[in-house]
Amino acid sequence: MDIDLLTEKLSLQVESFQESFEMLSSASSITAMSRTFEKIIRGNFFTTKTSIFFRDNEKSEWKILVSENDLHLDKINKLDFPNGIKVFANADSSELVTISKLNDGSALALVMGSKLGGAKYSDIDKVTLQIFLQLFDNSYQSFLLRKKEKQLIFSLNNSVAQLNSLIDTGIEISKINIGDELLELTLARAITLTNASFGRIQKFEESNLVDEILYPPHITIDENGIESRLSKCLDNEKFQYNYKLELFNKESRAGVTQFDETDELLLGAILKQVESAIENKRLHQETLENEVMRSELSIASDIQKRILPDSLPEIAGYDLAGINIPSKEVSGDYFNVYTLKDGRYALIVADVTGKGMPASLLVSTLDASLQSYLDMQIPLSEMALKLNTIVFKASTSDRFITFFIAILNPDSGEMEIVNAGHNPPLILKNDNSIVKINAGGVAFGMFDMGLPFTDEKIILEKGERLFIFSDGIPEAMDKDENEYSDERLDEYLSTNNELSSNDFITSIVEDVKTHANGEHQSDDITAIYLIRK
Amino acid sequence: MGMDFELTSSLEGSVLVLKTAGYINNDGGEKISEEFEKHFTNGINKVLIDIAESKVVNSIGISYLIEIIEKLNEKNGTLYFCNMDAAIEKTFTIMGLFQFAKKVDSVSGIN
Repeated sequence: MDIDLLTEKLSLQVESFQESFEMLSSASSITAMSRTFEKIIRGNFFTTKTSIFFRDNEKSEWKILVSENDLHLDKINKLDFPNGIKVFANADSSELVTISKLNDGSALALVMGSKLGGAKYSDIDKVTLQIFLQLFDNSYQSFLLRKKEKQLIFSLNNSVAQLNSLIDTGIEISKINIGDELLELTLARAITLTNASFGRIQKFEESNLVDEILYPPHITIDENGIESRLSKCLDNEKFQYNYKLELFNKESRAGVTQFDETDELLLGAILKQVESAIENKRLHQETLENEVMRSELSIASDIQKRILPDSLPEIAGYDLAGINIPSKEVSGDYFNVYTLKDGRYALIVADVTGKGMPASLLVSTLDASLQSYLDMQIPLSEMALKLNTIVFKASTSDRFITFFIAILNPDSGEMEIVNAGHNPPLILKNDNSIVKINAGGVAFGMFDMGLPFTDEKIILEKGERLFIFSDGIPEAMDKDENEYSDERLDEYLSTNNELSSNDFITSIVEDVKTHANGEHQSDDITAIYLIRK
Repeated sequence: MGMDFELTSSLEGSVLVLKTAGYINNDGGEKISEEFEKHFTNGINKVLIDIAESKVVNSIGISYLIEIIEKLNEKNGTLYFCNMDAAIEKTFTIMGLFQFAKKVDSVSGIN
């Protein structure tokens, strides 16, 4: 052969190899590759009928990719799985059969029918065919690499999408109150993030199933159809219900697969977001309620400041002092000294059960009613009946007022007294003995059955002292819950019989504090101390 | 285990319009792919998927859509989407679908 002709032929052949590699490498699937390969073979060898077969591995069956002769598969099936490239020719070299193992362990088989015009396959054809088969293998490896690259990009994009979805889910969840909408969103997101086929959220009250949400919404779950499952519980002692989220049948292109650690992490992250959102809403609600409560207490405190006296009247011939120390922002205690139109004085101490706005409103009702009745100058027992009715109507069944009133005639020292369930006030007599004033009836607001209140008249002699107080004094406790006690109060009263009213009140409060020894004041302290000079 | 995916198909001129309803997962993706193949082999290379009634899609469903995009690109065709839920549109964007597929308002937006 002429050297120039040979060079040209080889050059064309190399170009053909390069073009073939580019065409094969750009194919989107093994089937597309084999169709292209069939065209390349036909163009290079002028083959009439060509078939191509593929096997994933030694154990699998041959798959037909291109077949132009039904008998070709029979020929291939007779051959052993290859360990390299093998080219077989029939007796007259009119037909070629090749079988080659590809780099990933799969195999390609090629059956080439007779050439156009009945020419025989030459040795050069056999060598050239081997080069084309090697080319196919290289292109196939390139195709697999591109496929892996695509899968990697898909997987990376999917991870970014999952993270993005997690963030968006967190934002959306935080905007929704606990309820079906929140649970549906949570379930739908958990299903898509983990590639589950379907799922459910079951709501339990203790161990009783009270509700179930499904996604997709209208499915029926058949336990026999469940091939893989992932479940996690959302239980928090602060929540009213327990929730169990279950995901079923993780999908893959090859069928149902098992959920993995990433799925567990994703599900855990979503549930953590739900838990945080619910907890944040609870705390927000609590803050709002506290805000309302603080506002109410502030109003109640203002009301009380207007009701309780800034100062007590000066009573000629008497030394008078009073005090109110609330244990909280708003006291449930009440005291006052009113100057009556006829020159007498009304000394009152009352104690409402409870504190805060309701107690404050009741004290306000009592004070307003009291002022009206005091001006009317009706008998104390009658006034007590009327006050009881008003308090009964204005209060709930668990709220009542203990009440003590003394109407003092400053000239005579005579006191008209009613005690409605209040701690008996004490009179320190000149002989240092103590008299307790029990006269009265039950506390205001307990019953409204017309039970009479008994009034009593007592003379406060010169030098004698009257101590009206609330239970915050005798019931003040130390850390071991030991009360200050009536006995200690009696003793303190009798042993401090020289002090002015102001000094006595100041000193007994100090003595109570000494007893409490730093413990928080458990109840309001209210007292009036009157000395007849 | 009855799933709730539904697919309706129609030809509007030279455009195959597929309307989905429900979860686009393996089952949904397979149905879309099968319907696409029927028309693709007949020379259709413009496909519009209207996913107004699908609010949820997973990565398996997306993999079917990517395959359709690749097949159409080989034949100089295009996959179009319309009426996408905001969350799905975001997911498709992150997954790179709009590098080759397009968003339109309706079939009239396809030349």
